[in-house]
Amino acid sequence: MTSTEQHNFGLHCRGVSHWFGDNKVLFNLNLKVDAGQFVALVGPSGCGKSTLLRAILGTHLPEEGEILTQQNGRLLNAARPGRDRGIVYQKYSLYPFLTALDNVALGLKLDQTTTAFRWLNWSAWATKRVKFRERAAAFLEKVGLGQAMHLYPSEMSGGMQQRVAIAQALIMEPEIILLDEPFGALDEATREELQEMLLRLYEENREANARGNKPPYTLVIVTHELNEAIRVGDRLVGLSQYWDWKAAGHERSPGATVVYDKPAPIFCPDERPDYELFADIRKEIRHVVYNPEVFQDPDEHISLSPTR
Amino acid sequence: MLALLSVLLLVAAYTLISHRQHQVNPRDTTIPSWGQLADGVRKFTQLDRKEERWIVEDSIATSRRFSYGIGLGVTCGFVLGMLMGCFSSLEAFLQPPMALLAKVPQTAALAVYFVAFGTGMSMYVAMIALGIIPALAVTVHLAIKDLPSEMLDKAYTLGASNFEVVTEVVFKQVLPKFIDAVRLAIGPAIVFLIAAEMVVGDVGFGYRIRLQFKLTNMNVVYPYLAILACFGFALDYGLRLLQAKLCPWYQRGSK
Repeated sequence: MTSTEQHNFGLHCRGVSHWFGDNKVLFNLNLKVDAGQFVALVGPSGCGKSTLLRAILGTHLPEEGEILTQQNGRLLNAARPGRDRGIVYQKYSLYPFLTALDNVALGLKLDQTTTAFRWLNWSAWATKRVKFRERAAAFLEKVGLGQAMHLYPSEMSGGMQQRVAIAQALIMEPEIILLDEPFGALDEATREELQEMLLRLYEENREANARGNKPPYTLVIVTHELNEAIRVGDRLVGLSQYWDWKAAGHERSPGATVVYDKPAPIFCPDERPDYELFADIRKEIRHVVYNPEVFQDPDEHISLSPTR
Repeated sequence: MLALLSVLLLVAAYTLISHRQHQVNPRDTTIPSWGQLADGVRKFTQLDRKEERWIVEDSIATSRRFSYGIGLGVTCGFVLGMLMGCFSSLEAFLQPPMALLAKVPQTAALAVYFVAFGTGMSMYVAMIALGIIPALAVTVHLAIKDLPSEMLDKAYTLGASNFEVVTEVVFKQVLPKFIDAVRLAIGPAIVFLIAAEMVVGDVGFGYRIRLQFKLTNMNVVYPYLAILACFGFALDYGLRLLQAKLCPWYQRGSK
């Protein structure tokens, strides 16, 4: 492995542990996400998915361990939310006071201009603003919302709002995009459309890989729908507090860790998957990750080995 | 159509009551007839012995006091609310005095204002401003506390600085609620001003109404009240238009 390859990751969690007083949540969690991977993160409720996501985002730092991203070859420690990490929430995903277009253009504005520039250099700002909005419009076209650019979030359906929210995160070209149950509030048909949209992004990644370029999108999607995880993710990561911590010499559960990490089947956007074929995967995940009776050796179901 | 009918009914009822009163006492001025009201309007729109028109003098005095007071109160209320919302140390520091100030009835504290600020412009301004600051500051403060932290965190992922989070996210979210609060503060502000003018004014709407009421010239008092009502209504309407212009998303969202 050359040094450049070593650095070719989107996200690296090293020995992350977190607790709230006596309540142990995460234990020695290691997860390295390569650039271009779509990681589907699953786990039973209370396993610390949200805690991990907040730690990666940088709003709530873990008690131990470090979380690294990199930008232009520089390593960044996730000490606070920054423009190298994008986030799509289930709720509050958009700013209600901006239209779809301005919601998407907001990041360009905040990132590439300063307040002083916008207030003092009006004419230059006006020119830039037009350019930002053109780029935002192109992005909205890409996610299939060319018609809805001038609508406010309150005038859009839940599915449209999530599309805009994804475009808003994508336009920043962050090193990693976190999606926290992004489609949890949507109906089945809308979910599938949005999954297809993500798969289209994955296709771009594959094309970039084929050309030898750096794949543009790296995703961590938290979901409670196993089928969604299997369809969207190219890698399934299961986080669970039900692992064999007694064998590791703990008297009480030290918190959740990664107990499952395997590649997932890859789909084309227009391909309607036959979920019956994945009954085995679902069964295995339910057994290993979700079943409180099963205390798994945490290394047994890890085929994509993280750097320990 | 129904609105027009209700106004017509009110006018008819007034005419009837006034007519009945004048049958009992033809010299009555408490419920003036339409002719007496016209006399009253003439009285305050024509030049008096000092070559002044009351309505002009009163309007200038009252509106200047009002606009300075509202201007200062709105500015301070907004700034204090933003500071309380954005800095938790200032929140702890400013909350008790705000809560206390909000509970003091301004009209009852008139004497305090006279002692502290005299009877000039600064007294009126202080009274209006201090009267509306607590309500405005609390509104802004609570509106900021209500903002989901996700919205702020997301702004940082979009490359915002701390200052930009305040100007581009917090401010824009708070603005329509603040305009609503200003609309609600207009009424109390007018009450404080008129009360102070009634007690110490030598010109202004409160002064004129008190003086003419003592002479039972209700034909001046009623038109003055009508003008005050129109003034309040116009301001409220203007603020609603401003809100619709600045925050077009707000009304759509509340639907």
